[in-house]
Amino acid sequence: MRAFDEWLLNFTDNPLNVALLAGAAFLVALSFLWLDQVVFYTTLIVKSFRRNVLRSTLTSMAIMVLVLVVTLVWSVLNLLDKVTSDKARDFKAIVSERWQIPSQMPYSYVSGLARGGARTGSDIVPMDSMTWTFYGGTTDPVNRTRENIVFFFGMNPQKMMLIQRDEKGNPLRDRDGKLIYSSMMDDIDQATEEEMLDLDRHCREMEKDRSKVVIGRDKLDSMKKKIGERIKVTSFNYPGVDLEVEIVGTFPKGRYDASSLVNIQYILDGIDAWKQKNGKPHPMAEKCLNLVWLKVPDTEAFRQVADQIITSPEFKSPAVKVETASSGIASFLDSYRDLLWAVRWILVPAILATMVLVIANAISISVRERRTEMAVLKVLGFSPTQVMILVLGEAIFIGVISGMISAGIAYIAINARGGLKFPIAFFPAFKVPDEAIWWGLMIGGATGVLGSLLPAWSARSVKVAEVFSKTA
Amino acid sequence: MTRPIVEIVGLHKSFTRGSEKIDVLVDLTLNVPEGEFLALMGPSGSGKTTLLNLIAGLDSPTRGTIRVGDDLISNMTEGQLAKWRTRSVGFVFQFYHLLPVLTAYENVELPLLLLPLSSSERKKQVLNALDLVGLANRMGHRPGQLSGGQQQRVGIARAIVTDPTLIVADEPTGDLDSKSADEILDLMVELKRGLNKTIVMVTHDPRAAARAERILHLEKGRLVRETSGIDHAMHHFNGGEHITGAVPEREVRR
Amino acid sequence: MSLIDLLWIVPVGSALLLLTGGLVVTLPLSIVLLFVLAAQLVGLLRRVPFTYNLRNLLVRWKTNILTTIAFICVVALLTFMLAFVNGMYYLTSNTGNPSNVFVLADGATDELFSNLGYGDVKEIALQPGVLKDEDGMPLASWELYCVVNQPILVRKCPVCGDLVPVDRFGRELIEHGSPRCEGSGRSIVGSRGRRLLQVRGIEDPAKSGKVHSIPLKVGNWFSQSGVQALQGSTSAEQAVQAVIGEGLSRELGPDAGKRALEVGDTFDLGPRKWVVTGIMDSSGSTFDSEIWAKFQLVGQQFGKPTYTTCVLRTKDEEDAIKLAQFLKTDYKKPAVSAQQETVYYAGLNTTNQQFLYATIVVMLIMAIGCAFGVMNTMFAAIAQRTKDIGVLRIIGYSRWQILTSFFMEALALAVFGGLIGISIGSLCHGLSATSNIASGPGGGKSVVIKLVVDHYVILTGMGFSLFMGCVGGLIPALSAIRLKPLESLR
Repeated sequence: MRAFDEWLLNFTDNPLNVALLAGAAFLVALSFLWLDQVVFYTTLIVKSFRRNVLRSTLTSMAIMVLVLVVTLVWSVLNLLDKVTSDKARDFKAIVSERWQIPSQMPYSYVSGLARGGARTGSDIVPMDSMTWTFYGGTTDPVNRTRENIVFFFGMNPQKMMLIQRDEKGNPLRDRDGKLIYSSMMDDIDQATEEEMLDLDRHCREMEKDRSKVVIGRDKLDSMKKKIGERIKVTSFNYPGVDLEVEIVGTFPKGRYDASSLVNIQYILDGIDAWKQKNGKPHPMAEKCLNLVWLKVPDTEAFRQVADQIITSPEFKSPAVKVETASSGIASFLDSYRDLLWAVRWILVPAILATMVLVIANAISISVRERRTEMAVLKVLGFSPTQVMILVLGEAIFIGVISGMISAGIAYIAINARGGLKFPIAFFPAFKVPDEAIWWGLMIGGATGVLGSLLPAWSARSVKVAEVFSKTA
Repeated sequence: MTRPIVEIVGLHKSFTRGSEKIDVLVDLTLNVPEGEFLALMGPSGSGKTTLLNLIAGLDSPTRGTIRVGDDLISNMTEGQLAKWRTRSVGFVFQFYHLLPVLTAYENVELPLLLLPLSSSERKKQVLNALDLVGLANRMGHRPGQLSGGQQQRVGIARAIVTDPTLIVADEPTGDLDSKSADEILDLMVELKRGLNKTIVMVTHDPRAAARAERILHLEKGRLVRETSGIDHAMHHFNGGEHITGAVPEREVRR
Repeated sequence: MSLIDLLWIVPVGSALLLLTGGLVVTLPLSIVLLFVLAAQLVGLLRRVPFTYNLRNLLVRWKTNILTTIAFICVVALLTFMLAFVNGMYYLTSNTGNPSNVFVLADGATDELFSNLGYGDVKEIALQPGVLKDEDGMPLASWELYCVVNQPILVRKCPVCGDLVPVDRFGRELIEHGSPRCEGSGRSIVGSRGRRLLQVRGIEDPAKSGKVHSIPLKVGNWFSQSGVQALQGSTSAEQAVQAVIGEGLSRELGPDAGKRALEVGDTFDLGPRKWVVTGIMDSSGSTFDSEIWAKFQLVGQQFGKPTYTTCVLRTKDEEDAIKLAQFLKTDYKKPAVSAQQETVYYAGLNTTNQQFLYATIVVMLIMAIGCAFGVMNTMFAAIAQRTKDIGVLRIIGYSRWQILTSFFMEALALAVFGGLIGISIGSLCHGLSATSNIASGPGGGKSVVIKLVVDHYVILTGMGFSLFMGCVGGLIPALSAIRLKPLESLR
């Protein structure tokens, strides 16, 4: 029952779902009240759809391919919109170097930042924190290719996944039987319980043996490596700090398929070893902290923590900045701003316009071919509006059905492949969201209505006398 | 006697509809002398239109031979037939079948475009043909702007513009009122007399058939009898009230 | 293979099969038909008169206009997208000089991650092959490249139109105006809060300009000290002198309330004020989006005290390739990675290619959608004219002639729509847009791109419309000639 409650809450969270539910309820009510009419119209519409199977199929194919493009494009835009709008819960603050890109801070900042720069008792301390160090290397320094390059996130593995366990090592569960875990990473809650347990085991192993790493399944494939293999990574952003690692596992399917994870301590060990060997600090020694994430309860806390950090004398060389995760990503995407604008306001409208035209074309052809038939309907006592509804209904029928099929295929097919792999910024792949089915339905229906408005009007104003005088 | 322009020997045509085999024409032999106006009559399904189509090279026989002029058309491929039709045969249809978007002039010009003619020659021939059917003053009109009789006259102009020896007509008056029908039939008789065209016409209108020299009656794919149209016509012109049955008949050889 | 895999393999597979099958049949036949059409046009072959097609197109003008507009949409869009990708290619292929050798730290693929701070790097410039200037010094440009975050501190208030400062978090306009302006406190979240600027620290701007063949458009190169007193300021603060690209001057202009920054204008970057001493004539290259300033000042302000890049001028292309090869393989103190400068910039094409592929995929799908629309139009046209076809066949027109006649009608729609579409799409020529170009994940430059419509774009657009016309016109035309003349008259 609890699961149902939660589902219901989630479902009603989205206004689109509620609107659709209301629409569906309205339709059901309609069909109860005027059952015979609804049946009558539906039969006529379906029959006219089947009249010219060729044309119906062609129109529906055209709608399907166009809805497919819109679905793909919107999947990308949808995710970008989502990540650049602030979440109400789990507010994340990102601390990075103030001026330079990429951000490089001394690792000594970690403890101060984790406290949120708190100096007095009244200052706010973040709920949780994690650090990011980006380490790039290759398994083949002589012949470096896209396939053998690997980018590691150097971090504390427990921030990736930590499941609470009792003394015997059994995972603890809450009252609903769900695992009790903590993770700073996004989308980890999408993983199955089995995947979570696996990831937790890997992270604990990484904690024990720092040379162990986790690599996403797509990255493993492209490197042609398997779990259990040992690899030597020659770095290009930490020259001389090369890592010998053992692959212990992979991430839950999805978001992290192209990512790799190493214990930050292992990189720091390497930097120390370099100093021992060369008698001077590694040039990156004071620059190996790229980002710090702080978890704060809400916007107010975020503002205060940001203030604490910016005004703190601890973080002056180099200076740092604090932003919300969303605005951080937004400014990262800024270089794609014009492009995304063009996609949103030129590409998509042009596709929709093309759809409307294709539908308008098909429907006006079929209205012209059936002028006599419409005249007969009028003779039989159909009102002009009823004739119009028939034409509109046919267009909506084709639009809605094809749109839903297309979006449905995109949803199932693309998500089964782990999402749309379009490398923009640092997003490895874009999932087609659940709403996509509604998009298909809405796009198909709306373009159907728009495309059939004029033909439906001309069908409405068919003059009986004219039609019969011509055929006579 | 000169060689007949159309010579049909042992013609057999059958269709299969589903699993059923239907014999439309059965062992038919027929000669049409040059310059004859021949009418084919018979009830629906008697095979008269099929015979017409075979003579015109629109269809090929199951068995038997058809010779038109010097050409053995029953052996021709479809491509050869198309070429042959352009030069040697003109069609007149019941529903005129003019291309609605083209003017009368352009409709008549259509078959000429397939022949190696200069544009001035084409123009001369088209005007000639339109003149002959009495529509030279209407050549810029589209079919929709012409009456049924006028449209059929454009159809006839189109049929004769390539100067074919043979003209086939499928119910040319079937869609016309009696006055227009008479005008069309007058025109066809004129074609035969003035230009010595051979005309094969399918009709079920006895009045139309009566204008022909010879009437062949088909039933169930066989020629059942032959009557003389001119006699019939004379009778008609002499004020005879009823037409059918008043004509001397003789059995045809099977 | 799971059941779910089947769900996408079946539709995608069958679509691909249809597409390739369709292409295998359509393309050769279309090409043959195009030749036949050409022969008909010049009068070598007999044809159904074109007036016939033209009049029919006019009679069915409503559906034909709908189809044509769909064509216009698709082709205009294609032109626009290709112009963008083309602009990126222009930019990367116009940046860099083929006689220059581009030196980065060993293993670095991007200037951003390069660090030439190990060992005595200055010796690189003394290698044979590097040209010398009038004073006998090597023609080498020592550079520190970095990307700097510039918060946008002022914005135009939508209510009063004044330039108004933004609050510390970049979220809303501060209180302003007297009496208080309505726009105070207006949220600006969702719009851009900052820019990422490319700053290049160099030693000798005149020499670097010479190496890169970039002259100044107006103003002067920055001075030896690289700083100057702020005009009208009483404080002792000195502003950093900078020369900036022309494109960047336009990008930064609005902050100062003008169309573009001019010599003498200042802007804020990092902890200091900067003053423009010159504008570079750098249009069409990535330097158009850069700020050049004194090396020491850049390094000190942004915490990057070492060179990232060294660019060496050689006699010609051949020498450059030779020198790059030598530096890459034989030079070991310290080991560096070296390549022809043009090769480095061409390497930034990875992004371009991704966009090109995405464009092609999107356009192919749209073309198929549009072709379905054309098919609808043509099938309907043929259904309405079966009798015409019958008559033409009986008169003696061959299947080929009828095929080309209907095929041509579809092509006419396509060509007409395509031409208008290209013309509309071409209006974007010369517009500028910012984008990111990169050689791979992580790196990249934010650059100003000028959209370029050239003959490639126009030809591709035309080819696309022909393709849609052929695919959409051929199948209905083929169905038209399958009709037997007698059947079509019934």
